[in-house]
Amino acid sequence: MSRGDIHVAAVADGGHAGRFRAMASPCEVLVDGAPAAAVAELTRIAAAEVWRIEAHWSRYRDDNIVHAINTAGGAPVQVDDETARFLDYAQQLHALSDGCFDVTSGVLRRVWHFDGSDRIPDAGAIAAVLPLVGWQRVRWQAPWLQMPAGMEIDFGGIGKEYAVDRALQRLRAATTLPVLVNCGGDLAASGPRRDGSGWRVGVEIPDRKDVPVLPLARGALASSGDAHRFLLKDGIRYPHVLDPRTGRAVTGGPRTVTVRAASCTEAGVLSTLALLHGSGAESYLQSCGADAVVWW
Amino acid sequence: MQLNDRTTDARRALTAATLALLGGASVPGAHAEERSWDIDTAVLVYSESDGRVQAVEPVMKGTLDLGGERLFTTKIVVDTLTGASPNGATPASTPQTFTGASGGTGSYTTPAFETPLDDRFKDTRVQGLLDYQFPLSADGTLGFGVTGGKEYDFLSAGASLRYSHDLFQNNTTLSAGFSFESDQIDPVGGVPIPLAEMLASGGDDDGQGEDGPEGEDDDDPDGNGREDGRSDSKTVTDMVFGWTQVLSPRSLMQLNYSASLSRGYQNDPYKILSVVGADGEPITYVYEARPDSRMKHALYGRYKRLAFNRDVVDASYRFMTDDWGISSHTVDFGYRWYFAAHHYLEPHLRWYTQTAADFHRVALYDGEQLAVEYASADPRLGAFDAWTAGVKIGSGQRAGGTWSARLEWYQQSARVEGVPAQAAEGLSKFDLQPDLSALMLTLGYRFKW
Repeated sequence: MSRGDIHVAAVADGGHAGRFRAMASPCEVLVDGAPAAAVAELTRIAAAEVWRIEAHWSRYRDDNIVHAINTAGGAPVQVDDETARFLDYAQQLHALSDGCFDVTSGVLRRVWHFDGSDRIPDAGAIAAVLPLVGWQRVRWQAPWLQMPAGMEIDFGGIGKEYAVDRALQRLRAATTLPVLVNCGGDLAASGPRRDGSGWRVGVEIPDRKDVPVLPLARGALASSGDAHRFLLKDGIRYPHVLDPRTGRAVTGGPRTVTVRAASCTEAGVLSTLALLHGSGAESYLQSCGADAVVWW
Repeated sequence: MQLNDRTTDARRALTAATLALLGGASVPGAHAEERSWDIDTAVLVYSESDGRVQAVEPVMKGTLDLGGERLFTTKIVVDTLTGASPNGATPASTPQTFTGASGGTGSYTTPAFETPLDDRFKDTRVQGLLDYQFPLSADGTLGFGVTGGKEYDFLSAGASLRYSHDLFQNNTTLSAGFSFESDQIDPVGGVPIPLAEMLASGGDDDGQGEDGPEGEDDDDPDGNGREDGRSDSKTVTDMVFGWTQVLSPRSLMQLNYSASLSRGYQNDPYKILSVVGADGEPITYVYEARPDSRMKHALYGRYKRLAFNRDVVDASYRFMTDDWGISSHTVDFGYRWYFAAHHYLEPHLRWYTQTAADFHRVALYDGEQLAVEYASADPRLGAFDAWTAGVKIGSGQRAGGTWSARLEWYQQSARVEGVPAQAAEGLSKFDLQPDLSALMLTLGYRFKW
């Protein structure tokens, strides 16, 4: 399946799933009680929205707003309404999380290469890039964004969850049947299935053979984890979870955190922040009343 | 999964910020408070041929999702029945006049050679249901409900409890249910005395007036075969055990066993039997008499499969047997054909056959009413075959509700059994159990509210 294709397949309960690829993940649309043709039509609606957001904010393209921002070289950039809303949100998250959540942290990838090796960057390398990280260095006055040259923004941390919520909104407008949108394990459902039962969501945990099944009647589930991206040195696992304030990987945390919330975006923020709390992930989740499962 | 109601200010701020990002209140489901009812409405119109029973039945069901897989359901059904229903008597060569059955006062006359129908049959029935189900554990769901029903001469109240358990990653579901119902019947004119003679005609003019308590039965001062003012009751206890199994990504099957025990008053207080002579002509009429308990066992199997990645094949079979001697088989087949993305057409065919109850009699031979313990001429307890054929069309509207319409035709053919041998020749000139056909139209509309 390549970009731009959707595919409809039969699934276990007698219904259909529409599938497509976006944001480097397999994506899926489930519609309870619709025939294949209707599922295909709805999948096209969802895929179009996810692809639109991907094209809009992908950092791998040179024709979008993110590219314009990241290559502005210190100049102010005027952004569109949707990006402005997202930057407002990023600013609020940065404040609410005491700087844990930072859309400018992508620069740390220049020194951290999560390739499964033991090459942990040295303190000097980290210190060299850290001045380019930190929302507090950004001037954001909608619709104008101005960043010091060399800084970058990256919506990757939350863009997928946002796309799931957006796609679900589109589907709600198109059908009254219960629907679920899943992009790489981050998912949202419009409501319980027609028989009143919840959706059964299997959560893939790295290195675990069984797939725990979580019920979801409405709302969303998002998972964060280090999956296959980590470094291992001296028996310490350095997961792909970087604290933007120190530039260092957060060790000693859970492997995967799955959060259930009203929206996929909110669930994604909570699961990401939980991982950033390392060994304190559970108490963090508890303190903010999150409905979550933590796998160590 | 732990649920924690404590929400810090930071979390509230996060939720508010996310809502603003996603377009505020336009994100349905984002507010836990934003609960909506799922309303299912339908109206069934049932019409038997030859001016027999006509029924209009509006149904409204509302389901409220309380979150956390907790569902509250309420349902109300109203039945309005009119028309004529066989009273159990056989045709005769001369007109027959009946009094004292349903509808209270007055009498009706059936022309010669016609099946006596009580055309004063008229009733409105209201039934209500309240139900609540919630998860008991990660895999178990418990539900309970209460029901109530009221008719002109009938009052019922019931309660039910059910549990279902998911196994093997939800590929298997086992369930068990139990329900109990208590009915109170208060027939017009009192409960008839089983096998007692019914006044054929003339009401009080036969000399056994209301002021003359000369009947043989102390409970029946006016000698009309009914215990004046007396009501009766019955209880029904049901149990069901089910097994649903996903067989493959495209098919599933379901097996149910159910048992039902009804104890107490089982008679239809308005049904009678003709007591006939050798010529097949009625001499008198007696009220029917059924045993005071009925135990039923039923097995049900269903298979559902996806066809051509688009349609749904649904086949089921049911076997029922009871201690009255009735056994029935039901074979049902439906095919849901999605001829367009949002529309389907569903042809449906059902075949039903049942044997007669041991005590089912078309009529009694003169004198038999004193010898038999039980007897009923109710055609529903007789042997018959029936076909139901129909088609349903339905749609899933965009940004609205879904609607469906179903038209079905029912044809019942009786196998005449239970004819008293001594009067068989005399009765042979009559159509003892005429065929019955009916047309059913169901219109449904489902929406969120």
